[in-house]
Amino acid sequence: MDVIAVMCIGVLVGNKLFCEKYKKVNEILQLICTLVLIFSMGAVLGRRADFIAEITSLGWTSFLLFLIPTGCSVLLVYVLTKRFLKGKEEH
Amino acid sequence: MVVLAVAALAAGVLYGILGSESLIVDEIVSHRDLVLYLLMFCVGISIGLHRGILRKLREYNLRIFLIPLGVVAGSLAGGAVCSFLTPYSMGETMAMASGLGWYSLAGVTVSNMAGAQAGSVAFLSNLMREIFSFFWIGWIARHLNYASCIAIAGATSEDTTLPMIMRYCNEETVVLAVINGVVCSSLVPILISFCFQAFG
Repeated sequence: MDVIAVMCIGVLVGNKLFCEKYKKVNEILQLICTLVLIFSMGAVLGRRADFIAEITSLGWTSFLLFLIPTGCSVLLVYVLTKRFLKGKEEH
Repeated sequence: MVVLAVAALAAGVLYGILGSESLIVDEIVSHRDLVLYLLMFCVGISIGLHRGILRKLREYNLRIFLIPLGVVAGSLAGGAVCSFLTPYSMGETMAMASGLGWYSLAGVTVSNMAGAQAGSVAFLSNLMREIFSFFWIGWIARHLNYASCIAIAGATSEDTTLPMIMRYCNEETVVLAVINGVVCSSLVPILISFCFQAFG
């Protein structure tokens, strides 16, 4: 919930105080933060003792358990939003 | 962006595996929550700059929950299908799929209920969901619709994959992604226990 609170503060700042000419700076800062977060995630994973061994021995089963549930989620959300949110959420 | 994301991930994994020690990098990695807060603040600013977005969201009413509903139902159905293709029971595969991309929690919880190997599969499959989300969000935004970008991200749509959603979708979708992430993250611990006990 703290993440949402921080975002809400950002929304207020963006809406009331933030100068539009710094929009680009804000976007660059977002990119840097994103890359730092991805790097951190990789570092935490790399430090996991059995990370490489786990991937090689359980990789295929894990891949199936990622692919099918994720695919079903995407398909179902696509159908639901096409049917019920038409014209609102589509790009 | 995808190339940068892959490079950052590879560099991070390499840094972790090699056991390199750099005070600055270690500080950043251990305080990554603060980086996430900074990112969310910047994302909030971007949303705030788009006046009228809150009015747009109010128009959704209860339909705002369609996306988390689809994410959860689709994941559970996919988990059930996996029980026919893997050596695990339906309760176990559905519990693994209930992680919705939250790999740390799914790994630990499933490990406690079904053993270390099942826990490792839960960890890896949910980790793959997060990593593949980074690379597929752009493609899905172009070929399906923005809501489907939220679906692949699952529970991570409120934090780690949010920047990618932000990059390829619009501000309205970013707010929907945060709402989806909050709902899904709240449901993950409940779903894992429920699926394991009800279908195990």
